[in-house]
Amino acid sequence: MHKFIQELVNGLTTGSVYALIALGYSMVYGILKLLNFAHGDLFMVGAFIGYFVIQWFGGPAALSVPVPIVLLVMFVLAGGGVGALGVVIERFAYRPLRDAPRIAPLITALGVSFFLENTALLFFGASYHIYNTSDFIPFSSGIHIGALDIDMARIMVIVLSVVLMIGLRLIVNRTQLGRQMRAVATDREAAEMLGINVDYTIAATFFLGSALAGVSGVMWGLVFNSVWNYMGFLAGLKAFTAAVVGGIGSISGAVLGGLLIGLAESFITGYVSSTYTNLIVFGILIAVMLLRPSGLLGRVQLQKV
Amino acid sequence: MALLELDHVSLAFGGLKALSELELTVDQGEVVSIIGPNGAGKSTVFNVITGLYTPTGGDVRFEGRSLVGLRPDKITRRGVARTFQSLRLFLNMSVIENVMAATYGGTRATPLEQILLLPRRWSEGRRVRAEAEALLSFFGERLAGYRWEQPAYSLSYANRRRLEIARALATKPKLLLLDEPAAGMNPNETHEVTELIGRLREELGIGILVIEHDMHVVAGCSDRVIALDHGIEIAAGSFEEVANHPAVVEAYLGRDPEALAGDAA
Amino acid sequence: MSSQGPSIGVDEWVARSGERRGYSPGWDGLLERINDRVNWWLGLALAAGIGFAFGQAGFSSFVMQVAFNALLLALLAVGLNIAVGWAGLLDLGYIGFFGFGAYGFALLSSNQLSSSGVHLQAWESVPLVMIGGAILGLLVGLPSRRLIGDYLAIVTLFFGEAFVEFTNNVAPSKLGGPNGIFGLDPIRGFGSQIISLKGYYYLMLVLLVVTMVVLRLLDTSRTGRAWRAVREDPLAASLMTVPVNRVKLMAFSFGAMVAALAGAAFAAEQTNVFPTNFDTSYLILIYAALILGGAGSMAGAVLGAVVIEATYDGFLRSPHWAGVIFYGLILLTLLVKLRPWRRLAGVLVGTVVFGFVVYAIVHAISPSATAGGPQSGGFVADLVRNWVIVPAPKAGTIPAGPGNLEFAAVICLLIALVQLRGRWRSILMIPTIYLAACAWESRLVGQPSITRVILTGAVLIVMMNSRPQGLLGVRRVEIV
Repeated sequence: MHKFIQELVNGLTTGSVYALIALGYSMVYGILKLLNFAHGDLFMVGAFIGYFVIQWFGGPAALSVPVPIVLLVMFVLAGGGVGALGVVIERFAYRPLRDAPRIAPLITALGVSFFLENTALLFFGASYHIYNTSDFIPFSSGIHIGALDIDMARIMVIVLSVVLMIGLRLIVNRTQLGRQMRAVATDREAAEMLGINVDYTIAATFFLGSALAGVSGVMWGLVFNSVWNYMGFLAGLKAFTAAVVGGIGSISGAVLGGLLIGLAESFITGYVSSTYTNLIVFGILIAVMLLRPSGLLGRVQLQKV
Repeated sequence: MALLELDHVSLAFGGLKALSELELTVDQGEVVSIIGPNGAGKSTVFNVITGLYTPTGGDVRFEGRSLVGLRPDKITRRGVARTFQSLRLFLNMSVIENVMAATYGGTRATPLEQILLLPRRWSEGRRVRAEAEALLSFFGERLAGYRWEQPAYSLSYANRRRLEIARALATKPKLLLLDEPAAGMNPNETHEVTELIGRLREELGIGILVIEHDMHVVAGCSDRVIALDHGIEIAAGSFEEVANHPAVVEAYLGRDPEALAGDAA
Repeated sequence: MSSQGPSIGVDEWVARSGERRGYSPGWDGLLERINDRVNWWLGLALAAGIGFAFGQAGFSSFVMQVAFNALLLALLAVGLNIAVGWAGLLDLGYIGFFGFGAYGFALLSSNQLSSSGVHLQAWESVPLVMIGGAILGLLVGLPSRRLIGDYLAIVTLFFGEAFVEFTNNVAPSKLGGPNGIFGLDPIRGFGSQIISLKGYYYLMLVLLVVTMVVLRLLDTSRTGRAWRAVREDPLAASLMTVPVNRVKLMAFSFGAMVAALAGAAFAAEQTNVFPTNFDTSYLILIYAALILGGAGSMAGAVLGAVVIEATYDGFLRSPHWAGVIFYGLILLTLLVKLRPWRRLAGVLVGTVVFGFVVYAIVHAISPSATAGGPQSGGFVADLVRNWVIVPAPKAGTIPAGPGNLEFAAVICLLIALVQLRGRWRSILMIPTIYLAACAWESRLVGQPSITRVILTGAVLIVMMNSRPQGLLGVRRVEIV
């Protein structure tokens, strides 16, 4: 029972992180029909920002300011910084290619991914950067009741993810910006002709999506304690799977997909074997795609003849 | 036996009835026009015939055999070809390649034969090329000579429409479906289209089903006319009969306000 | 009536000059013109001749290895071109077919499967492997019935990933696990075998030429037309008698066969296979080669592969050559992009002068800041020694702080550069280029394995923005 709860919590934690990254993928795909392969690397940049903030404040064992402030700075800097980076990337790599054949932005995204991963490698080296969260968020400060044994970091991640997802949903459904985003995603030309500032809307979408990726990078660092330059590749791939399984372009789908993949990973690693985890996850994806091509919650594309 | 027979064809998208109990026949050597206001379901009829939609009721028969449930390319191979309301040419391919591509169903060379340069490759290749050239020459100077190797996107609008008809003809159809062939054309070109349809009927003896808005074309080439509105046939007969039919007038122009006032009084 | 021949006005102009084909001015037009004028078969014969002569010229084994790799990449790019360039299908799992071919050959030519192993001769194992590849291609292509565009890309991507996972984790005793399979037989048959690098180079050349001939014959016949029609508009194609699903499957199948063939040759040359040979980074290289050269054109695929392999594996390994390429690229970009000659001259001269001035100032203030020498060797270093600022290396090696800062500064300047127009843009170019040279000499040159990937990424981004059709590709009209 204890193991089950443990795996459940682990699954929810990783699932939340995947969900946040997947949200960014879905939002960008929905609005530009672009599979942004560089998105995972934004996650990596966020994790590095989190790492350096801790170092700047004296290192995990000797923080010079109270923990809540450190966390706040980590999240805000990562979110804002990576968000801005996303806007810059969109402006320079993707904007000129809005009307180009689909393969062009795809290859460009690969180029951006190369660039980010290897610039990080250049600046920070190939070794894993490790910091022990338990040094400043003691393990005992968590929920330890009976079979439940969850540490604070994981609780924080799950709670924060839920807050962010709700916040995003509110933005998309209740604000003017959200309406604009949905309009541009449906038909860009028509939205432009209605007076919507498409460039701004797309930039805002990228900002939000990238900020989410950055924040989830910090979360990953807090929970798993290690940061390195290729971490974006695998996490990005998993989150991409999640976005597609849930229905790419659909916000709720990304969340559902993320949680599904996270839980699947946890339970398979815990109860079967870790060697087959990735294979099974890919197998799930292929099965879903074959049975329901537009994803679990995705909308079927219509074509006028 | 009619070439094409629509037998109480119905198509519903959920609650929306796109076509209701439609009956239609086209014979060989006959030109039938379908008219009706926008959204009446005219293109939907074409989509049902060519297999893009499956009717929810009724049957579509071509040369006596049902077409329902067949894949579009199989239907075309049986002898039904169409053009599109908004052109769907292979823009980046050359003019003659567009036409040659449509001969796929009429050729049999397998990849192995193509690679090993067996005789069938050569004989079919020559035949396909000759047929394409002949078809394009049907349109006179417009799509002649040097035009063959130019990409399709370099053609003017009217020439693109002609190319699309040529491409459809390359499939050796017995029934040709023309979806608004005169759309966007000036009076000269419209007159040419009307003549073209007549020539197709005379020289090739095929059945032609035309969707058109331009009444000059309809009047000039049709043997019979059918009027649709909201997926239902509201009138059928010769052009004069249909054009003056009260239901058709109402569908296009609305009810006569005096008659309305008279009814209310 | 208008059908009697051209009438006065538009028709007459068209009749007189409609045949003329216009070409873009400058390099674009030159490439297009060469592409149009040269007969394909003649070009192939010429290229094959050059390839043959290259092998005879007696280059070092390092050069021959790079050449072999280039031809391997070219063969793979040509195979990928079928699905991506001709049929317009995004096959992101292509690397899996390559791996299948390699592993298939490995299992049939080694002691892996049983104690004495299976040791088929090449003329037996290679066709088997190719047929297996074709079947695998069919299987992977099956989802294309229901999936279009991006969704198909996703499924194929995961097939590729799954292949690496599979060979890494599943049945380690049979498939070798992470350590791969060793001790493969060379290509042998009919009493002779190929064991020298030069031999494999010629083998690859022959395979490439034969494959291109076969594919050309396919492309110019009804299959090629069908592929192109499916790429343009699958719906219209199906209504014009083209069996779209079957055509798509053929594209996958043929591509997989070519990849499997390449895999077998690769495995024989390496005499071993590992799962990591077939991961996503190599797939990206194949894509880069195809896109750079021009998707849709086999000549483009080969050219792109040669360029990518030569720079990636060849030049960028040696600091000297890397420097030549780096400065050469900058000069080339300036040459192509800066149109008025005066502006170009102004920027170049300004950069040189600016550099000397800054160097003199910094040197005067703090000699240690310029103590380190430029890290690229040869004549390039001599040229720039007194021009770039290279700080003395700190005790202990990576990461080198100032170099990184310079690099970051260059990125920021580039971003600012794109925002500006006109005179200000040219002016800002001067410090940007200078700073880039400094960053290059201080930092980037010292890390060739990282730098080459960064440069490749940058080239891809720039390429897609300025010339998405690649070097030898044709600009397409797309209906969005």
